[in-house]
Amino acid sequence: MSRFAEQLERFFYDPQEALPPGLELPEPRVQPSARQAPPDERLCFRLENEWYALPVSLVREVSRVAPLTEVPRAPASLLGVMNLRGEVLPVYDLKLRLRLATRPAPIAGPRADRTGLPRSARVIILRSPRGDAAVLVDAVQDVVRLMPAEVEPPPRGTAERDGIVGLGRRGDRLWILLDPEAVLG
Amino acid sequence: MSDRGRERSEFLAESAEILETLGRDLLVLDEGRGGELDPELLNGIFRGAHSLKGLAGMFGEDRLATLAHAAEDLLDHLRLGKVEASDPVVDSLVEVVDVLQALLAEASREETTGALGSRATGLAARLRGLTQATAPAQVDLLDQLDLDPATRKVFTEYEEHRLRENLRKGMSLYRVRAEFDLSDFDVGLAKLNGQLKPLGEVISTLPSQRPGDETGIAFDLIYGTRRPERELLAALEGTPATAERLGRLEPAALAPEPPAAPVGKTPKKPRRAKGAKPLPPAPAVSNVTALPSSNGAAPARADSEASLRSLTETVRVDIRRLDSLMNAVGELLLIKGNLQRLAESAGHSSAIGPSRAWSQELTRESRALERKLEEVQEGLLGARMVPLGQVFEKLARLVRRLARDAGKELELVLSGGEVELDKLIVEELSDPLMHTIRNAIDHGIEAPEVREAQGKPRKGRISLRAVQRGNRVLLEVSDDGAGINEERVREVAVQRGLLTADEARELPTREAQNLIFTPGFSTARSISELSGRGVGLDVVKTNIASLSGLIDVHSERGNGTTFEITLPVTLAIVRALVVGAEGRTYAIPLSGVLEILSLSASEVRTVERRELLPVRGRTLPLVRLAPLFGHGPGTTGPLFALVLGLAQERIALVVDQLHGQQDIVVKPLGGRLSHIRGISGATDLGNRQTVLVLDVGALIEDSVAPEWKAEAL
Repeated sequence: MSRFAEQLERFFYDPQEALPPGLELPEPRVQPSARQAPPDERLCFRLENEWYALPVSLVREVSRVAPLTEVPRAPASLLGVMNLRGEVLPVYDLKLRLRLATRPAPIAGPRADRTGLPRSARVIILRSPRGDAAVLVDAVQDVVRLMPAEVEPPPRGTAERDGIVGLGRRGDRLWILLDPEAVLG
Repeated sequence: MSDRGRERSEFLAESAEILETLGRDLLVLDEGRGGELDPELLNGIFRGAHSLKGLAGMFGEDRLATLAHAAEDLLDHLRLGKVEASDPVVDSLVEVVDVLQALLAEASREETTGALGSRATGLAARLRGLTQATAPAQVDLLDQLDLDPATRKVFTEYEEHRLRENLRKGMSLYRVRAEFDLSDFDVGLAKLNGQLKPLGEVISTLPSQRPGDETGIAFDLIYGTRRPERELLAALEGTPATAERLGRLEPAALAPEPPAAPVGKTPKKPRRAKGAKPLPPAPAVSNVTALPSSNGAAPARADSEASLRSLTETVRVDIRRLDSLMNAVGELLLIKGNLQRLAESAGHSSAIGPSRAWSQELTRESRALERKLEEVQEGLLGARMVPLGQVFEKLARLVRRLARDAGKELELVLSGGEVELDKLIVEELSDPLMHTIRNAIDHGIEAPEVREAQGKPRKGRISLRAVQRGNRVLLEVSDDGAGINEERVREVAVQRGLLTADEARELPTREAQNLIFTPGFSTARSISELSGRGVGLDVVKTNIASLSGLIDVHSERGNGTTFEITLPVTLAIVRALVVGAEGRTYAIPLSGVLEILSLSASEVRTVERRELLPVRGRTLPLVRLAPLFGHGPGTTGPLFALVLGLAQERIALVVDQLHGQQDIVVKPLGGRLSHIRGISGATDLGNRQTVLVLDVGALIEDSVAPEWKAEAL
């Protein structure tokens, strides 16, 4: 069980959360069937100053950044492999994938420098049919339950940023919704 | 897995096991052609066919059941002496195993092909034909035996047959009487049987008509032997048994020898009429009624019991379960390493008495843990091991058929079948061995006439030898055939554009012979049925390499060819050399490391800028690990060259550090990274450090075929 399990549990959907108290929202203009669609549960995390979200159902666990071993001849976005209780997992640099950075975080290999890594940095381990894999993030925040009405298509111009499937918006909070398979590549 | 699925896979595994035993026993029968049949062996084969018939019937595998049934009938006739073990009979029985195996393979894939079906039907019909060809009726020798009709009536058909056989062979027949205490008569009887069997045959065990005392029970064993009477009497010394010779009532009456024991009364009661017997006191009753079934010495009666029990005392385990256990043990070993480090540092850091004592105790306990873990590890490795004999038997059957088809006479000499290897390796080994032997039959062994003309024995000889050498097993396939025609090999290499005429001329013998492992290389001028299958030695090489093995060939024109295959004993735990390159650590399976040399820059030669290193008369491609993996140009400090070998290829790999050797459990890198060339997995060295394991085969292939590398990168 992840150390975050309890934390995540606490952030699970609270009916009060969807509607701020005392505020009547107009009936959302969506199809009745879409309204009944299950809310999208997502784990929110930070990269630089932007907030992102991945489907909770595909998150296996969240872990501290273990020492990584470089893998030669691998794509640049592969930071290295980590050992999670005996299992060898690849760890990818999401910033490089999303073009927030131009070179991978220098945290593996003999010249590893972890000083640039914030204390809050974590790896999120994702389930995937092609083999589970981890992504490095600057901080993990919480789990949100997005109603269909709170989800927008990805804004124009971000289409070339691979793996972005939409935006989640609630009040002044904004999340960039990612498709894990596309992000892992 | 569903219950039905599990049952079915149990059925498949059990049937495969029975077939394996059948194959082995039939091989013995096949080899003993023309000689005396061993009745126990024949019985074993009969029981195997019987069990298989039952199992197949239960699971609705009618084709299997029908064929097994036909074989069972023929075997029954054979063991009853109604059919002779003629060549067609033995040949068909040997073929039955092959066809049953093919049927079983189809059953496991849940498919049914017509070709195999008609082969099975044809064979079953042939077996039935052979069964009906009953041996000519003989004068019943049994009539000549001084045995009263009541006793004769209780013999089973099989026992009668064995009696006749013994008489026909001129054995002396005895009635061995022995009395045992009721409490442990089974033990005594087994011991007596054990003493008698080496000298002859226990044909039947009957309860004696002469009742024992209050707490005893007596048996009559009908026994046949060729040994003189005094030897039998000597063997019986110290047992409660006495022997009495059964006389013959031959018309030209030679006076029967006087009985050795004073009591020679003719029995009056049939043995199964237990009610009529004077019973010992009450507590023993159950023992007496249980008698006929504990009477295991008569093989025919044991049939029905044997088929109810499982044939072996083995447990079948999915090898993946063993893998995951092995992984768990690997993890435990790492935890133990951490404990030991903790204990040591506790000992160093504290000057206080009690704490030091505590650390010593911790050290002691973790040592004990280490020993036990090693035991577990060894046990797990042992559970994966199977004797090579399993493959040898399959091959022996195949060789007979292939030789017959190819019109060559040969004998196969097997040795080292008891050498054990990891199950996974043994499974993967049968194909490459088969191709190597096929190659020897097809290209090596000459036709009988040719051999005679050359002053060689008509019969060719192929020998398959296995020897264990530490953590490796050496397998040798050698033949006394024509040897590799080196000139022809060079010629073909030029024709195929592999070499220029000049290169071919200058190629050393060893390397010329190794050309036969090149894909698509065949020097056979006439394509025979065997080589027509399109399997070459290149496939053998690939198969062996995938098992982290090496293959080498030595050949002498006119005297034969030897293939040497070296394999690791297991792939689960690998002894590895831990090396460093530009501060990165890598593990290399030691099975691929042939030599470690200290490298001095002046030794390195270049040809077209490719670096080469001469090592003992061979010039090896030199590969520097650091630049190869993009870790920079490589240090200028002291360097080491590791001679890596896989199949017949060798390269020299340059590293800058040697950290030592360690047993490692190799873990796969997973689907996402499996395509990375040169890395076969990762392992944990115990200090929470994950280290990548180099794929020796890929490294060698890439440096031998550099154009591939250019394409991929």
